[in-house]
Amino acid sequence: MVQAVKNSWATFKSIFTGMGITGRHLVGPTVTLQYPEERATLPKNARARLFVNMDDCIGCTLCAKACPVNCIDIETVPTTADVDLGKTSTGNPKRFWLTRFNIDMAKCMYCDLCVHPCPTNCIYMEQEYEYSEYDRSNLLYKFSQLSPVEVDDVKAKAEAEAIQKQKEKEEKARQKAEEARLKKEQEAAEKARAADDGTGAVPAADAAKAAGTAAPDAADAARVAGTAAKPAPGSPSKQDDTQNPSKGEA
Amino acid sequence: MNETLSSMPFLPALLLHAAIPLTIILVYALVAIWAERKVAGFIQDRLGPMRVGGWHGWAQSIADLLKLIQKEDIIPADASRFWFKFAPFMMFAASYAAFAVIPFSSGYIGSMVNIGVFYLLAVTSVLTLSVIMGGWASNNKWSLLGAMRSAAQMVSYEVPTIATVLTVVLVAGSLNLMEITELQSGNDTLGFLPNWLIFQNPFLITAFIMFFISILAESHRVPFDLPESESELVAGYQTEYSGMRWAMFMLAEYADMLLLSLLGATLFFGGWNSPFGDFLAGPFWGFFWFMLKGLVLVFVMMWIRWTLPRYRVDQLMAICWNILIPLSFVNLVLAALWEMIF
Amino acid sequence: MDLAAILFYVFALVTIGSAAVVVFSRNIVHAAFSLMFTLMGVAALYVLLYADFLAATQLLVYVGGILILILFGVMLTSQGYTLNFREATVNVVPAGLLSVAAAILLIYAFSTGGWVITEVDERTDTVYDLGMMLMTDYLLVFIVAGVLLLVAIIGAIVMSTRLSVNTED
Ligand code: SF4
Ligand code: SF4
Repeated sequence: MVQAVKNSWATFKSIFTGMGITGRHLVGPTVTLQYPEERATLPKNARARLFVNMDDCIGCTLCAKACPVNCIDIETVPTTADVDLGKTSTGNPKRFWLTRFNIDMAKCMYCDLCVHPCPTNCIYMEQEYEYSEYDRSNLLYKFSQLSPVEVDDVKAKAEAEAIQKQKEKEEKARQKAEEARLKKEQEAAEKARAADDGTGAVPAADAAKAAGTAAPDAADAARVAGTAAKPAPGSPSKQDDTQNPSKGEA
Repeated sequence: MNETLSSMPFLPALLLHAAIPLTIILVYALVAIWAERKVAGFIQDRLGPMRVGGWHGWAQSIADLLKLIQKEDIIPADASRFWFKFAPFMMFAASYAAFAVIPFSSGYIGSMVNIGVFYLLAVTSVLTLSVIMGGWASNNKWSLLGAMRSAAQMVSYEVPTIATVLTVVLVAGSLNLMEITELQSGNDTLGFLPNWLIFQNPFLITAFIMFFISILAESHRVPFDLPESESELVAGYQTEYSGMRWAMFMLAEYADMLLLSLLGATLFFGGWNSPFGDFLAGPFWGFFWFMLKGLVLVFVMMWIRWTLPRYRVDQLMAICWNILIPLSFVNLVLAALWEMIF
Repeated sequence: MDLAAILFYVFALVTIGSAAVVVFSRNIVHAAFSLMFTLMGVAALYVLLYADFLAATQLLVYVGGILILILFGVMLTSQGYTLNFREATVNVVPAGLLSVAAAILLIYAFSTGGWVITEVDERTDTVYDLGMMLMTDYLLVFIVAGVLLLVAIIGAIVMSTRLSVNTED
């Protein structure tokens, strides 16, 4: 009986305590903001939408590598010798054209991991959080400042330069081979001169043969280098992401 | 008002007479649903509905009503069509019919029958049946479970309700709610308190506490809202209902809440009597005081709803059968003894 | 025809119609729900006879109590709550004989009995009269009924507590 009275006392006490708490909240202030009319000021380090300051980007792709969900898609083309892209505001030289810099905000999970590795601090979160879209493809943000024409231009230039370099290399290799041949011929001639005159014809033919095999070797090496160099600037030139959002995922 | 009506031709007078409580219920339901959401909002430090109608979203319930009217009336393929359609209307009819004996003011009561409270309790017991009907006809396990729970709960809690009401009837000596109210006029308990029954007899205070707990259970309010617990039974017997039929259930529920609160106000807090004696008395002010008292009880119900968690089924039954029923009968006997001695 | 007569016929029709549904329905739950209308119709007929207390009791006890217990029982016990009864009639001959005998008896009683038609007198103090009669003329019956119910309650408590003791141990 005493226990029962105690129990009911405890029950009523806890009920009234609870009602006291809810009652205080009932008359207390509310924390709601009437959203479209009122907006909260976000804290400085709020993560909302990524922004890339392209003037400072050096195309190092560190951010793309850091992203755990692969939503940053970067394509770079090395600059040709005749252009100088200048330096970033932090003093790093820029050596790449950024022909593509896409961030898929539909995939982004706001982890902020891409922000910290950037050597020039040019990728960061903005305060903008109202960017919902009806079409998911509209969430693919393109930061590259080059127009398609310019991209083609730059790529063609880079390719031309690559071919040019290749040719120079080939030329060098050829010259080297030539030199080697000449050297060998000279040596052979000297040998022949040093030996008897009658036997001189055969080593000369040998030396010529040796030079003949050396030259195709150099040509082969050039060809191999050419195929290795070619696809790198060539293949991405076909991509055009404006029409096909699924490319970004591919 | 009863006098004015009796001079009119019979049928229009009857309809007008019947329309008064209906209007009160409908207006009250619109206000109460909005108020409930506001109370919920403020208790949770939110604002609640704010958009429709300007000031604090006061027209939200009207907008909801318009939306509900436009909704498709979906009847599940395997439901028992007739009973499924019928249940919400019977539920509302039952709680509406009970308003006939509520004295809204000194000038208006639906029917001056002698068995007032008894009639009210009898008619509201039909509510249980309509809940079972809706739950069974939906042909859905949750609905049926909700219906069974409601049947068990309402049949059980009817006993303490009746026992506590009986305590009041015993003190007042009448079943007619108008007479019970008239008995509580005046302001001379201990010199200053109004003559409300709750101040008349110490055992009526305990009776009121038990009565309030029982009506919480009878009107399916938290912490006794097991028949329609959203989180476990997906709203119980209402699961399959949509559109206006669901709205009828809702309306009946809120009407029931008001009915039982008004009953409590009549039985314990002097009905339409002004708390200041003759000051601000009269038929109109009587209505005002009466609704105020009822709405305060309704507000307390809302307050409790947003404070307490839900009981388990066995706890619910244990509270009723182990505590409320024995206590209410003991209380009845003690109140009778008090009346005999003093 | 005055309003009371119209109401009488309406409620009589409701009572008989729903009673027919109770008998002929093959779904036991439908039958139980129809029984509600029968009981309500009877309650309404009581009201027309100025027996308002009886009508309210009828509602409270039968609709609010017994019918709900019936439904409870039906839903808890039968396998599947849409149990169909067998349509075929069994024991046609004895049943036919019995009903013919009952019909003859009823018709005979109806045609030969003298029907006293009295105007029901309007009462207002039913509760008071009822209480007076229960406490004076019918006191013994009242007490016996009370004792009977007490016995039933004690029996129920004994049964249920024994059951729960068994399950707990
Ligand atoms: S915030 Fe995270 S998920 Fe989003 S782009 Fe940066 S690294 Fe990727
Ligand atoms: S890490 Fe910074 S600099 Fe490097 S590619 Fe990303 S945005 Fe550009």
